[in-house]
Amino acid sequence: MKKHKVALVLLSVLLMIALVAGCGGKTGTSGGGENKGGASGDTIKIGFMGALTGNEASYGIETLKGMKMAAGDLNKEGGVLGKKIEIVESDHGSKQTEAAAVVQKMISKDRVVAIVGDPTTGKTKLAAPICQQNKVVLLSAGAVGPGVVELGDYIFRDTLLDAVAAPAVTDYLVNKLGWKKVAIVTSANNDYSVGLTKIFEEALAKHNAQIVDRESIQDGDQDFSAQVTRIKQARPDGIIFTGYYTEGGLFMKEVRKQGLDLKMAGGDGLLSPVLWKLGGDAVEGSMVYTGFAADPANAAPQTREFIEKYQAANENKLPDMFSAQGYDAVMLLARAMKEANSTDPSKFKDALAKTRDYPGVSGTLTFLPNREPVKSPVYLLEVKNQQFSIKAALPTEAPKA
Amino acid sequence: MLLQQIINGLTLGATYALIALGYTMVYGIIQLINFAHGDIYMIGAFIGVAAVALFHQNFFLTLATAMLACMVLGVTIERVAYRPLRRAPRLNLLITTIGVSIFLETFMTVLKGPQPTGFPPVLKNVTLRVGTLEFSSIQLVILLVSVALMVGLQFIVKYTKIGKAMRAASEDYDTASLMGININRVISFTFAIGSALAAAGGVLVGIYFNSVSPYMGVTAGLKAFVAAVLGGIGNIPGAMLGGLLLGLAEVFGVAAGFSTYKDAIAFTLLIIILLVRPTGLLGRPIQRKV
Repeated sequence: MKKHKVALVLLSVLLMIALVAGCGGKTGTSGGGENKGGASGDTIKIGFMGALTGNEASYGIETLKGMKMAAGDLNKEGGVLGKKIEIVESDHGSKQTEAAAVVQKMISKDRVVAIVGDPTTGKTKLAAPICQQNKVVLLSAGAVGPGVVELGDYIFRDTLLDAVAAPAVTDYLVNKLGWKKVAIVTSANNDYSVGLTKIFEEALAKHNAQIVDRESIQDGDQDFSAQVTRIKQARPDGIIFTGYYTEGGLFMKEVRKQGLDLKMAGGDGLLSPVLWKLGGDAVEGSMVYTGFAADPANAAPQTREFIEKYQAANENKLPDMFSAQGYDAVMLLARAMKEANSTDPSKFKDALAKTRDYPGVSGTLTFLPNREPVKSPVYLLEVKNQQFSIKAALPTEAPKA
Repeated sequence: MLLQQIINGLTLGATYALIALGYTMVYGIIQLINFAHGDIYMIGAFIGVAAVALFHQNFFLTLATAMLACMVLGVTIERVAYRPLRRAPRLNLLITTIGVSIFLETFMTVLKGPQPTGFPPVLKNVTLRVGTLEFSSIQLVILLVSVALMVGLQFIVKYTKIGKAMRAASEDYDTASLMGININRVISFTFAIGSALAAAGGVLVGIYFNSVSPYMGVTAGLKAFVAAVLGGIGNIPGAMLGGLLLGLAEVFGVAAGFSTYKDAIAFTLLIIILLVRPTGLLGRPIQRKV
């Protein structure tokens, strides 16, 4: 019995130590006071917020590459308002707990006038109140989820939103591919999927397409046999799948297993090579839309120039959505500062909000009165021989608020 | 369409039954819920992938390889982690099984990464048509292999010496050892058989759904556990029945349009059945010794 007691005491002590150690992360300095703009002297500081390590690193690394390219291009032409642009790097290591601390540090210590980031919706929402309070512009080059720009008049993003993209894609599916009857598959425990399904349902109703079957799955499911058998009964022309690539690939596998010759279309949740790693031949012809696709042959002149520059600097690799949007973010900020003739965030944020038809490398961008971006075109990709190839570039319309 | 959904349900149910058998056998002998059992099924699936990808084995060899490897793994886990605690309080042993489960999951995550991997092609999928009914040849293989394994298990338990020892041990553990039955050997054998069946389930599921991941054993293990309790924990035919019922209930829940509640169906069914029959469908009523 004694032995047990000693063991218990030891265990509790160990637990306490672990807890204390676990909480001993960096705590951010509580920022306060007004930031009068870090444009004193001869540089304008723009912060990068994102992950360079951890599981979101690929987004952050690409965004930062794009930002540095933009800063280089601007500085070659003499900078902005006679000052050089300087990119302040940070890395929250994909950790929710570090994100706020990193933002605080860039605002209070580095005195940035604007922050580009975070590539993810969740961490952008964490950073937004801090930036709003300190009167620093936050421009996310990746967040697509709802409830971001609503957080304040200093908060922007330059991504193609599903609310803009999905209606344009629906138009193409219904009127070009003749999908009059559609089965729609939603992942019930995935916010992104549930939101996207709503957008698609509205768009389908507008184009008089019929939803003949609604199926729901869960992220992490492996067995879709019952759902596919139901789809078989409904006889749709195509499947709209709003979830992620893992389930998308497996779902199509089951569709082929049951001898159905249907194609799937979905959002950029499906945009990953894992789609054909799991789906194999079953995902051939599946369609995925995305805000940016490197297509030198059909790109606008500014985009083509960007792709060439990026390839020259990156061993011929093609840029992705994040590098293009990171580039555009810095360019948009610089343009707003020139328009406002000031590096004070409280002045140039109004100029930024007035951006109309800006020819960015990731598409043409306009900010709506509520600061939500509308971008055109949306790229529809198709899986061909285990590769994404561009099927169409579709013009978008501003959603009617 | 009804027939097709029945086949879908039976296929899913057969895989649950294969895993459920291991839970039930181990519980029947040492009254322990082995929470690492679902992860042995996962390891079996990964060994199956390796057998095809690295050694290009055919389907039956792959199945045999995974079953043998997991036999060794199951027996080793019992030897190293459970046997020293056999006389310790029951709760310590239960927590140890959870520890082993986490260890196996993390080990595979470190080795292979958390993303699901596909199963290399080993069985040709042909769509079979009988009248208006269409089902895949893989479904048929799963059903046949599962039935064969379960029949084999029944044979072992009923007609072999070690099977007799297992039944004796589950009847009364202490008396059996007094009668000269080597309890350690019986327990090792039980773990070996249970793990082999789980590995077979893992390989079949990996081929059927074309997806293998370090955490695939969590949900599958939980559902198989429910299946075992449903049929009456400790009862071998009960585990088979429970597995098949669960698979059918899940598929018909989806077919009826309740796909959002797919995972809840299993547990709802469990609660209903336990309210009516507290010892499960085929479980024996608990006798009060006066």
